[in-house]
Parts: sequence; structure tokens; C-alpha cells
Amino acid sequence: MRIGVFVCHCGSNIGGTVDVPGVAEVARAYPDVVFSSDTMYACSEPGQAAIVDAIKEHALDGVVVASCTPRMHEPTFRRTVERAGLNRYMFEMANIREHVSWIGKDREANSNKAAELVRMAVEKLRLNAPLYPKSFDVTKRVLVIGGGVAGIQAALDCADGGIEVVLVERESTIGGKMAKLDKTFPTVDCSSCILGPKMVDVSQHPNIRLYAHAEVEKISGYVGNFKVDVRRKATYVDWELCTGCGLCMEKCPSKKSPDAFNEHVGVTTSINIPFPQAIPKKAIIDPTSCRQFVKGKCGVCAKVCPTGAIRYDMEDQVVTEDVGAIITATGYDLFDYTKYAEYGGGRYPDVITSLQYERLLSASGPTGGHVKRPSDGKEPKTVVFIQCVGSRDRSVDRPYCSGFCCMYTAKQAVLTKDHIPDSRSYVFYMDIRANGKMYEEFTRRAMEEYGVQYVRGRVSMIVPQGDTYLVRGVDTLLGEQVEVPADLVVLAVGAESSHGAPQLAEKLRISYDNYGFFMESHCKLRPVETNTAGVYLAGACQGPKDIPSSVGQGSAAAAKVLGLFSRGRLESDPQISQVDVRRCVGCGKCITTCPYGAIEWMELRGEMKARVIETVCQGCGICTVTCPQGAIQLQHFTDNQILAEVNALCLS
Amino acid sequence: MNLAYYPGCSGLGTSREYERSTRAACAALGVKLTDIPDWSCCGSTPAHALEHALSGALSARNLVGAARAGCDTVATPCPSCLSNLKTARHRMADDGFRAKVGRLLDQPADALAALPDVQSVLETLVTRVGLDAIRAKVRQPLAGLRVAPYYGCIMTRPADVMRFDDPENPTSMDDLLTALGAEVVPFPYKVECCGASYGVTRRDIVARLSGRLLGAARDAGAHAVVVACPLCQMNLDLRQTQVEWPGGKAVDMPVFYFTQLLGRALGVPDAELGLEQLCVDPAIAFRRAAQVVAARQAEEAAQAAKAAAQAAAKAAQAKQAAAANEGGRA
Amino acid sequence: MPVLKGKELRVVGFLCNWCSYGGADTAGVGRFSQPTDLRIIRVPCSGRVDPMFVVKALLGGADGVLVSGCHPRDCHYSQGNFYARRRLETLKTFLPALGIDPDRFQYTWVSASEGQRWKNVVSSFVEKVHQLGHAPRIEEAAPYLPLAEKGDTPRAPLRPPLRPLSYPAAGTLAASLEQLREKIRAALPELDCVIGWQQGFDALHATPLFMRKPEDVDKLTWGPLNVHNLATYLPQFKNRKVGVVVKGCDSRSVIELLQEKLVEPDNVRVFGMACEGVVDMTRVQKTLDAGNADGAMCADTAPSSVGVEGDNLSIEGEAPARLRLADVVAEKCRTCDTPVPLLGDVVEGNASAPAGPAPDAPPSPPSLDALDSMTPEQRRGFWRAQMDRCLRCYACRNACPMCVCRDHCIAESRDPHWTTQEGNIREKLQFQVIHALHLAGRCTECGECQRACPVNIPVLALKQWMNRSVRTLFDYRAGVDVNAVPPLLAFAVEEKNIKEHGL
Repeated sequence: MRIGVFVCHCGSNIGGTVDVPGVAEVARAYPDVVFSSDTMYACSEPGQAAIVDAIKEHALDGVVVASCTPRMHEPTFRRTVERAGLNRYMFEMANIREHVSWIGKDREANSNKAAELVRMAVEKLRLNAPLYPKSFDVTKRVLVIGGGVAGIQAALDCADGGIEVVLVERESTIGGKMAKLDKTFPTVDCSSCILGPKMVDVSQHPNIRLYAHAEVEKISGYVGNFKVDVRRKATYVDWELCTGCGLCMEKCPSKKSPDAFNEHVGVTTSINIPFPQAIPKKAIIDPTSCRQFVKGKCGVCAKVCPTGAIRYDMEDQVVTEDVGAIITATGYDLFDYTKYAEYGGGRYPDVITSLQYERLLSASGPTGGHVKRPSDGKEPKTVVFIQCVGSRDRSVDRPYCSGFCCMYTAKQAVLTKDHIPDSRSYVFYMDIRANGKMYEEFTRRAMEEYGVQYVRGRVSMIVPQGDTYLVRGVDTLLGEQVEVPADLVVLAVGAESSHGAPQLAEKLRISYDNYGFFMESHCKLRPVETNTAGVYLAGACQGPKDIPSSVGQGSAAAAKVLGLFSRGRLESDPQISQVDVRRCVGCGKCITTCPYGAIEWMELRGEMKARVIETVCQGCGICTVTCPQGAIQLQHFTDNQILAEVNALCLS
Repeated sequence: MNLAYYPGCSGLGTSREYERSTRAACAALGVKLTDIPDWSCCGSTPAHALEHALSGALSARNLVGAARAGCDTVATPCPSCLSNLKTARHRMADDGFRAKVGRLLDQPADALAALPDVQSVLETLVTRVGLDAIRAKVRQPLAGLRVAPYYGCIMTRPADVMRFDDPENPTSMDDLLTALGAEVVPFPYKVECCGASYGVTRRDIVARLSGRLLGAARDAGAHAVVVACPLCQMNLDLRQTQVEWPGGKAVDMPVFYFTQLLGRALGVPDAELGLEQLCVDPAIAFRRAAQVVAARQAEEAAQAAKAAAQAAAKAAQAKQAAAANEGGRA
Repeated sequence: MPVLKGKELRVVGFLCNWCSYGGADTAGVGRFSQPTDLRIIRVPCSGRVDPMFVVKALLGGADGVLVSGCHPRDCHYSQGNFYARRRLETLKTFLPALGIDPDRFQYTWVSASEGQRWKNVVSSFVEKVHQLGHAPRIEEAAPYLPLAEKGDTPRAPLRPPLRPLSYPAAGTLAASLEQLREKIRAALPELDCVIGWQQGFDALHATPLFMRKPEDVDKLTWGPLNVHNLATYLPQFKNRKVGVVVKGCDSRSVIELLQEKLVEPDNVRVFGMACEGVVDMTRVQKTLDAGNADGAMCADTAPSSVGVEGDNLSIEGEAPARLRLADVVAEKCRTCDTPVPLLGDVVEGNASAPAGPAPDAPPSPPSLDALDSMTPEQRRGFWRAQMDRCLRCYACRNACPMCVCRDHCIAESRDPHWTTQEGNIREKLQFQVIHALHLAGRCTECGECQRACPVNIPVLALKQWMNRSVRTLFDYRAGVDVNAVPPLLAFAVEEKNIKEHGL
């Protein structure tokens, strides 16, 4: 074999702590290495051109690049060697940046380590074989999980692009958090006026199939050919018949059901349509409070329903959908502020969350848009906003910034002044993070035009005093304790991952961080991709995000799906297992352990042998370890290839 | 599982009634307290203000003594001692700190498998004895007595050292007092500072902070404040004449140790509880409680009478109607 | 390439591509400084990490090996780390058998977002390895043969058997045998052959018998000389109808083969008889030699007949001798709890009752006790000395009923190339480890490997160690239930007996 080695300086990223020319020099003596050189930026255009030239000039049939992590540029260099006529798998990478130069300052140790990593790569490459991908058909349908604004945008963009969309929403209506908002920053335009038309588009689009009040139960398959089981939870109303007339809500005698849509500010009927603009605008029964379910008698809704749509005996239903790609847009949840006992921990009726306040501000909310205190219905004259409740606070395990609370708090303070002109608002803040277009100007306006009093400091406690509250905190700019009497306190609760997010991630086989937010493939360069091919992210499921960013990601994820589907057929990864039928004794252990059912029996001259179904195998290599004869080998990670790396380190 | 008892210095001085009532209540509940032989001061505030290792050694000395006496847990009524003992134990997990402390001790802790656990007497009662057991032993329920439970600022904080109850909104004393039949008023200042030892150097601070506490208790309708800390008790009780009461002076808020009320409910004679040592007359609270009970009884009697009258009227009406029916038929 | 002297030790890491390799990248991006000792090998999944890679590295001179995958439930391939956890934990409990400090091998879980955690894992593991220092090489250990000075082969002393080993009276035994023969004759027409035992080159040695014609059946013998486990022959008869005569212990091998579908239940007929123990021929020979110290009887003096009655073995011929069965019985028979075959179309005879109540756990075999009693250093010396004597003849493998790879054993293949053909201690031990690891959760401790060894290496002890690990970790015993799923082909999301290793 004729191997070429290219050791990258990466500017000073590697060159700073590794003797790059020295490593290239050492590598020249490795077996089968006929060419070795250092290069300033291997990934740059001249860097890649040098590799192509060297392959041609020295008739190389294998290339090692020692540079950054293969998770970053392996695809880049594979294309490079392919341009020079080599098979893309005749290439290996040694990670001498993330695993060497960036984690140690000892130049001697780093250089020695880098040289060894190159040696390992060379030894492995000597056993590499060309691999050829196969192509397979793609189901050109996409599953969008979550019908908030990010999911809606993704669904509409995909549908407009001509592909079928299956949109699954956990609640009985799409709209997500945005549907609960009154106005949006920084333009203070009406949330439902800008979201409503999009929701209607979803319901009317011929390419979108909407499953509301449904959850993804199981996902199998792989990019291009996923099979998804969707559980349609019982609504106890036949939505084919329900016209959304609302007569049942008028007549329902159980009027004290929890009102989740209104964030439990107020109550609602057991059968209800969450809000007038709901999509689908269909009624749903809450069996935990409905008299028919709780007491076994009532049946009022069934009597009054003009279309006879009520079905008390309805059961969950599981439907299976075939899709080729998945966009997750499951959004976020609010931090449970009751963990802050110093803010009352839920004991004080007039200490409410920002989203509850949003419902109080909303004209379609429980108070008809009149700001009233939950305790006595009086109009508050002094409103205190506390920021960073469940954000930037390590004591409640939420060290991250939720990003959008500064802005919505400014908006809510402005709206408070609009609703109650003679009111005063105070905002306790840590830092004002207003880093979007027109954001800083907006918070300035809140302070200067609307006279919102910003106090830089944390609140240490809220104490009820008669029918008002005393908010005690510190003004760190004055260096003094301050006490503000308040009629209403609004907690700017932070964002946390949506409940059930880790479980969904496990079904999708994608990663999530310590807080349950899904991991993107690369934090900067692949923000909507995941490490699982065919699964994309949109919106706050990846991390707290405001509306413009969520919409942007929704469109980005849709663009990724449309791009994926624009290819007629997909190429399968050839790094899959292969059976050497001469060695296989037909014990079937690989069949038992394969998580994908990708290995099947076949008969060969009267004997049973294992066979890999190429499009199903995902290349994990569990089977290779299971097989005692080593008859089934994961291509590109064969026993011999890994042994070559071990031996390069241990035996020599 | 043997329980060592660490009274703390103030238990032998200013808070003798806390010490006495603790022992009396524990005896009534059958909790055996083993005194730590040759115990010494935990170092209080001055020691750890100067030198952590020294403070640690003072506390560790007592913990080692408890362990040598065969105890796996040390209970102390005083939150300041509790804080010192717990902090020392917490810091001793660090090998470096442990070694430093070891050099200061005649009998280092290294020979021990583990240092004994430390808990407040409140925690001991709530977790070891249990509220159900206490409730079962109540002989004289504190009916009608409205109390504001005041935990003080250090009994639950810092949370990762103290590891007991909610740091900002503890409820264990609330639950205990409820079990004794008292009525716990919502008291938002449960863990606020009373001014502590500033009573010596900056009386104005204590006057303001303690005044706020007492005022809030009064506003909440409490007959008495119930505390678990000698220093808090002193500030609220002894200095009640000095504090700035919101809305005018009124020295009428008895301040009990929770063990005193516990003992009373269990039927321990007042003399063993040191009630006479309180500055603000405890009788004020009991009198008010009695008034509440009396008013309630009066109301209940009135209600009963009303109900009886209604029932009688109803019966008479029914009789009349029946008679009318009879008459009609006839 | 040598390790940097005085600075570094050789630490090899196997990291899954999706989580831990990404976590190591994240640590790099975060510039979290780490020890430089670690060399990372990227694999797709921790489920791809063959425990033998770890052994290969440790025997090859690595001072520490670290495997890291996705957190349980987070595997990119959904189950790979669950399999890895079982395999690697099994390995971790096995390493001490070789005298390798189990702390030199660690496995853990690090996600792609946990850069800080990766730094901590690497730092603490490398620090641990530095505390342990350079790994001692087995081939450089001082030879240790604890029993050699007594002129004995290194075997453990005798212990009283669990049951009184006593064959029925000669007449009863003959009657049972005749009944068995009758059953075999009746079944023979529909079978290719039935495998049993017959007298070998002399009356003291039995040899396998392949009965094809009714008259062959007359040669079938039964008694303590039937040492071979005939289940070993069954896979060769795959797809043909065949019968086999089994002792209790042999039946467990048949169960394993059925479980692994290497023989089909429709194609095999099992004839069994209760067994009272078989002899350890080495002990017989030794006892005979010792009883004739004057040289009156040489080992090659063939006895004319050997009779068994009760616990007596009577050898007739030029040099008659009487032996007590308890003195010469095979080690495995002393702790045997399956004298009657666990399965069989025909089972003859009854076994003697156990001497006392059944022990809670199977008693530890003597050779395992012997290994247990050694220090790690002694174990290295022990295996070094044993492997010195190993001829690499593969008799142990060929006799093993569970070595079903036959011509495709990876000890002799170049693809995969797990061992070289060099006759050194490392390669020979590597083979023994392969055998033990491949038998994890499969070995029934029939002892054929050790019996077959021409130089009496106690190779069974490694398998007994492994079996104990499997029993402790997974509460599993091989060769009992045809329908059981062996522990290394399965996993539990929450493992009952595997604790997370703090790193």
C-alpha cells in the first residue's frame, strides 16, 4: 500500500502545542507511508488541493489526515480523496486537536501523542478496504412532532414544498405557547393575529394530516424509511362529527374543571374547546372532572350535541405512519416556581407566573383582558416583576439563561401601563439581555416612555402584608436593601425542557443534555440536524428560544427535509456488518442480539446461515462482538482494524 | 441507635428553660438522651469567625466524645450549636480539613468509622418519634392557641449542610404544633433574622428586625410566637420592651420554646417547663386561647340551639300540614 | 513507540462515536486540560467493544483501559451500551483470575455534552492508573507452582464428595444397563447412530462407541470409567438423526447445544442413566503407582477387567488392586448436584441421595479455591508457569462440547487475527482467555478441557471463575433450561447486580 500522511497546523490551534513538522517527519518511517508532510490548514482549498496533488503525484492509495475531530471534517476529506479518485473509505483521520493540542500544554507529550495517533490511523488504514454505498427508496413524507409555532412553520414549509406532513400535537389544539400569549415583543403586535392564520393554514392544507391530542409512541426504521406509531388519545368526542359549535360547553354542568389552557387562572367546563381560535376547533372531555366519568351519570353533552358526536366509551387508538424524515419541535415547559419557597412556593394567590399574567392580559383570557388579581379580582396598581426565576440559578439546577424572559417582562410591563394607566411597575433583574434586532430599543422604551422602574438585584422574599405583598430585595447599584409593596407579583419563570423530552429522545435515538434539551449535531454549523440521520430539530426543544428564532429553525428544518427528499434515492452507509458464510456456524446469536432485526436466517446448501439486511443494519457492531467465530464483521470497524490500532499502541 | 445530647452553653445559662423543657418533653415521650461526657463549647460565633479549623476542632471534639459514648446521632436544641456541629461534620469529609482538625485534638476522629450524625431536637422529635406517636401522647391539647412558628435563620440554612426541611419555608414545627392541637397562623417571617447578637452592639438593628417579626405575628392573629433558638427567644422576649413595634408599643406577645408547649400538651407540670422564666407573661397567650375556646363553644351552643329551634319549627310545621291534610280528607 | 518515560503510562480508551467521543471533543473545545496518557480508539458503539480488545491491550502491555459509551437508555443504537455493560462487567470480574488488577480496566458513560465530565473521568482514571503504576507483565512474573514441590501436578487437595458415591450392586447395575441397551436397540432403526462408551485399549480405559447395528449395542458399557462427555460429538451430526448416551453432567451440555440450536431437538435422542461419579484417570494411575512403589506394577501393565460394586473399584489382572471410588473420583463429581440427567428420552437408574441438605450455593470447586487463595502476583506467576508448559495443542478446545466453532476457531484464523502463532506466554494465555470469555454463560463445567490436557494444566479453573462471575452478576447457570436466554445475549435496562462505577 502507498499511504500519504498530512499533518495539519490548524494555524496555531495545533501548531501551538504540537511539533507538527516533527510528527510529519516521524510518520515517514511508518509502514507503507510513502509521503508525509505538514500543512497549514488541511481543510482549506489549497490544503485539500495539496492532498489531491499528492495522491496523484505519489500514486497514493490511502490517506491519513491528522487534524481536528473526524466528527467535524471526516466528510470533507472523504470528498477530497474521492475527487482524487480514491474510495472515500481509504481515508483515516487522527484527532490531534480536540484530543491533543487543546487539552494539554506539554509540547513533548503532545507531539509524542500526536505521532502515536497518526501511527494508529496508519495501521488501521492498512487494513481498510474500499466500500460502496447502495441506494434505496425514500418515503417522501415527514413527521413533525409538536404543533407550536416552530412545528407549524416546519409543517407549512414542508407541505408547501409538496411533501406530505404528519403533524402530531400532544394537546387538543395546535398553537403551543405562542397561542397563549397576548402580544409579542418587540413590536407589541397581537399574538393570535399573527399565529391564527398560520394555524388555519395547517388545518386547510391538503398535504398536512394533523393528529391533535396524540403522542408518538414508537419509532422504528431509519432515515428514509421510519415507521411511527402514533397514539391518538381518547377525546370522548367524535371529531368527524363535532362542528365546534360550543353548545356542549354552554350546557356542561361541571363548570369547575382545571383550565390548563389558561394556565389554571380560573376554571372551565369539563367538555371544552380550549380557546375560540383552536385548531382543530373540536371539543374534548376531561374525564378527571366530567360527571359522566366521575359519578357515572350526567350525559348532558350527549343530549345537547346537535350532531351526536359524544362517545363516552371512546378508547385510545394507535395508528402507524410511514415517513422518511422527522422534525421534532416539542418546545419547552415553564420552570416550576413553587421550588422558590421564599416567593411563597405557590401559597400566595397574587404571585403568578408570566404566562398566567399573559392570560390575564389577553382579551380572550379568563378576565377578558382586564388585569385582575386572582385573589380578589381587584385591579392591581403596583405590579412587581421578578426576573430569572428558574434561570441562571445554580441552587435550583438551572444555571442557564432562558433568553427571552427579559424581553417578555419588558413587554408585560409596557402592557400593564397600557391596561392600567395609573399603575406602577417594577422589574427586579440580574442583567438585561436584549440582544435581538430592536430588542434593546424596546427595553429602553419600557423604562423611558413607560416609566417602568428597573431595579438591578435579586428578590430575597415576598411577604404578604394585609391584602398586598411586600417584595424585599436588594438594589445592587445603590448597594441597599429595598422593599416594594406590590398588589401583584409576576415571576418571569424560565424555560425548561418539555416534560417527556428525554423519553422522546430515546425513541428518536438522539442525544439530550443534562436539562433534557435535545443535542444538535454541531452547535454552530449544524444547528437543526441531529446525529441521527433524518431527524431534525426546530424551536425550543433544542434550547430556550424566542419566536423569531423558533420560526427560523422551523423553516431551516423544513429546508433540510426538502433537501433530503430532493434526491430521488438515498445512499446507505456501507459501514455495516457483513457475514463470512464460510465461517458462520449458524448459531444465530447475532440474530438474537441485533437491536434492529437486521440479521435474518438464510439457507445455503442445506445449512442455515446468518445474513445482514443491508438497508436495515445501522452499523453498531453488537453482532461482531457476539459472534465467537468472528464470522460477522462490521465493515470499517472490523476486528482486525481495531486490533491493528490496539497493537500499534500496545505491542510495538 | 443511641442518641447523644448536646445542650450547648446557653442551655446552662440564659436558656435554662429550653434545656429543662427539652429534657422533660423527651422524657415524657420516652426519648433517651445520653449526655456527652466532658462536652465543651462548640465555639459559637467567635471561633468560626476567626479560624475554621479551630471551630471544627471544638465541634469535632464533642462528636468524637459522642461516638466514644456509643452514640450514632447527636441531638442539640440550639441552632447555633447545630450549625457548628453540622458544618464541622460536613467539612471533615475533606481529608485536608480532617487532618488539620486531627492535629488539634487529643483523640482524633480518624479512629472512628464515621462521625455521628447531627440533628436538631426538633428533627429528632419529628423524624424519630414521629408526629403520630406524639399526637397519641397529647393529654392537654393546645386548643384555641394561635401560634406563629419562628424557626430562625440558621436552622435550615445553608440547605446543603443542614439537610432538613425546606430552607425557605420549613414546616416541621408547624406540623408539630398542629399535632399538639394548636392553630398555626400563616407566618411569612419564619426564617427571617431577628438581629441575633447585634443586640449587644447595635441594639437599633435588633429593635427593627425583631419588631418586624413580632408585628407580623400579631397581624397574623397569633397569641404567641414559638421559637427553637435561645438567641431568638432572648431578642423577642427579653427585648420586647425595646423593639420597634409597628403601630405602637405593646408588650403582650409571649415567646415560647416549642419544647415548652410540647411539654404542656403532654401533661408535664409547668414547673418542669420553666414557664416562669419567660419575660412576657405566658398566661396572656393561654388566656386568649381560652377566650377563643369559650367563644367557639358559645357559638357552637348558639348554633345548636338554632338548629334545634329550626328542627322543632319544621316538626311543628309538618305536624300542622299533616293535620291540615287529615282535616282536608275528612 | 515507547511511552514517554517517567511521564506517561500506556492508557487505551475505546469510545463510542456518538456520545463519548463527542464528549471528549467537547472537552477539547472547552480547552479542559487532561493528562496526555490516554490514546483513544473510536468505535461506533460501546456494544462494538469486544472484551477481548481489552484483554489484548492489557496482555500487550497497556497499564489501563477505559471504555466509555452513551449513558444507559441514550445509546444511539438504543441497546449497544446495555450489552456492553454486561460484557464489560463480566470481564471486570474475570480479570483478577489472571492476576490483573480490575482497577486497571474501567468503563463508564459520558454524553456528547459532558465535556467537563469527560475531563473528570480521564483525570481520575489516569490518576488511578498512575497510583497503580506500570502494569506487571505476566510473562515476566516469577513462576509459581504451589503444589509442584510435592511432586504432584498442581491440583488442589481432595475434599469429601457431596453424596456418598456408591454404585448399585453389580447385578442391579447390569440389569439397568441391559434395559438401556434394549431401549437403544429399539430406537436404532430410525437413527443414524447412537453414541455411547465401550472398553478401550484395556479394561481400565473406556472409549467412545458409535452404535449403528443392533450388535454394536452389546458393547455398550456403564460405570465410573465412562469419563468422556459424548455431547461433544453431537454438532458433527447436525441435520442427521442421532442418539447419545449421557451422564447427568453430560446432559447439561446437550441442553446448552439445544439452546444454541446447534443440535435440533427433533434430530437427537438422549439416553441417560444415573451416575455415581467417574474416575480421574490421573488419580487412578497415581494411586496404582503409589501402591506399587516397588515397581511390581508398571503403568503399562494392562488389567484384564475392572469391576465396580458400591464404592469399590476392583482391578483384576497381573496386578490386582482395590480402589475406593471416593479416592479417585473426578473433581467435578465431588460437587456434582446433577447425577441424574436433566433431560432424556430414556433415563435409567436412581442416584444415591445426597449426604446432607443441599447447600444454598453450589460449593466452590477445589481448583477455584486454590486460585482464590493466591495473591494477584501469585496468580500471574501461576499462569505464567502453566502457560510455559502449554503445548498449544488445542486438545482443551477440541474436547470442549461448547467449542462449536470447530474449524473456524479464531485462535487459528488470520481474519480475524486475534492471536499470532507465536508460542509465547502472552499468545497462549490470550487463547485461554478467549476460551473462557467465549464460554461465559455457556460452560457447564464438564471438565473435558482439563481432562484432555496432556500436560495437566488446570484450565478449568478459569471457566469456574467465569461461571462464578456469571452466577453472581446474572443469577444464571448454564445447561439447566433449554429455553433460557443466556445472560450475555440479553440485558436488563436496570441491572440488578451491576453497580455504576463512579469515575
